[in-house]
Amino acid sequence: MWHIIITSLPEMLVAMVQYTIPLAIIAFIFGLILAVITALIKFIEPSGNKLVKYPYMVIRAIFSFYVWLFRSTPLLVQLFIIFFGLPNIGVQLDPFIAAVIGFSLNTGAYASETIRSALLSVPQDQWDAAYTLGFSTPQTLMKIVLPQAVRIALPPLSNSFIGLFKDTSLASSITILEMFQVSQQITAKNFQPLLMYSLAAFLYAIICTLLSWLQHYLERRTSQYVKGSEA
Amino acid sequence: MISLKNIVKTYDGKTVLHDISVDFPSGKTTVILGPSGSGKSTLLRSIDLLVRPESGSISFEDFNYDYSQPISSKESFKLRRKTSMVFQNWNLFPNLTVLRNITEAPINVLKLSKDEAESKARDLLDRVGLADLEERYPSQLSGGQQQRISICRALAMNPEYILLDEPTSALDPELETQVLRILEELAKAGQSMIIVTHNMDFARLVSDKIVFIEDGEKVFDNDTKEFFEHPTSRIKDFLSGISIDPDAADNKE
Repeated sequence: MWHIIITSLPEMLVAMVQYTIPLAIIAFIFGLILAVITALIKFIEPSGNKLVKYPYMVIRAIFSFYVWLFRSTPLLVQLFIIFFGLPNIGVQLDPFIAAVIGFSLNTGAYASETIRSALLSVPQDQWDAAYTLGFSTPQTLMKIVLPQAVRIALPPLSNSFIGLFKDTSLASSITILEMFQVSQQITAKNFQPLLMYSLAAFLYAIICTLLSWLQHYLERRTSQYVKGSEA
Repeated sequence: MISLKNIVKTYDGKTVLHDISVDFPSGKTTVILGPSGSGKSTLLRSIDLLVRPESGSISFEDFNYDYSQPISSKESFKLRRKTSMVFQNWNLFPNLTVLRNITEAPINVLKLSKDEAESKARDLLDRVGLADLEERYPSQLSGGQQQRISICRALAMNPEYILLDEPTSALDPELETQVLRILEELAKAGQSMIIVTHNMDFARLVSDKIVFIEDGEKVFDNDTKEFFEHPTSRIKDFLSGISIDPDAADNKE
């Protein structure tokens, strides 16, 4: 048994470093950017000026449709459409690019709701206090409200990232040689599915444990000002 | 001087301010009194545009706005530069230290340098007796301390007027006194203030002028002395209604 583990481990670790980890990190960064933009568009109320208001409502409807679409369909189906479906209309994507697009859009849709609810949880009093000091709406958002929203959004966003990290195994279905795909290939040669898939599970669990430690560290860092916190 | 003219504010079809006109003289302390729900806070908040009346106007020496017209962000900024509000629940920024609560707006809005803003903030903290708390977070302080810090935060913007919305209503009597002493000092130093309060002793001792509002109508608008020495029958009712001594209003005559 140890012999099998020792011979297949390097190959799986290479796949993890080469595809699994970069895919998770890149998709999460793009997903977060998309999520912040989407959350702000849904959060900010347009001014009364009709020239601003109507185009804004159209943009908001487009973003709402995006969130609805990606929350209402399975991730695996989304990946299949992007990688296998789009070539039918002449859009041929590199598998890694297709995976980054699929995971980013999916993560962005979920995380946008997390960020929006975190923004809503900062009381109106904070806006009033900032306005009376002469802060503009963008300044209030950036300097006062967002920093407080980050603390609230951190645990659910960590959840999203841990979920995304494990979901990268779905990229095996669109021909990416990430860690799970490699474990399948090795299994095809040594006929040890229990051992190989358990090993893959173990490697995912190690990374996810490290991520949850990182989450606790960040939570402590951002909660220094909260009553009763240790820091 | 701030002049409000013909202010009308409605919430869901219910009129809370009926055509109120009132002047707030500069360099003086004006107290707004009235039963709860009378519209006093709404009136105060409309000065800082935290509430937007449907009609009426506000004027300072150098400019005038009509509430019924759109007010650009540049205009509302100009107005808010002249005023700064202190809230009932102080509304400090919980994620910032005491010092940064005070320096954040001077640095970002007035574009002061960090050093300049901090030295000014330390002077203010010293003035309210909290110089040693600058590195604490608001949640680590008592309500009275937080309210004194929020007064520093307002003063740090050099406003012409400080607007105080029931600044001591959420405090224990002992903590209330600490805050009121600071306001008294500010009043003596000639700081223009408009205060919504229920503290009659404070109103009598510190204010120059009283505006009494009931059901969204202005009932009294004159010198403090006049209010307590020659109260109308309605004011007598109000004064005895907030005292456990049934003869309180009469005794004060």
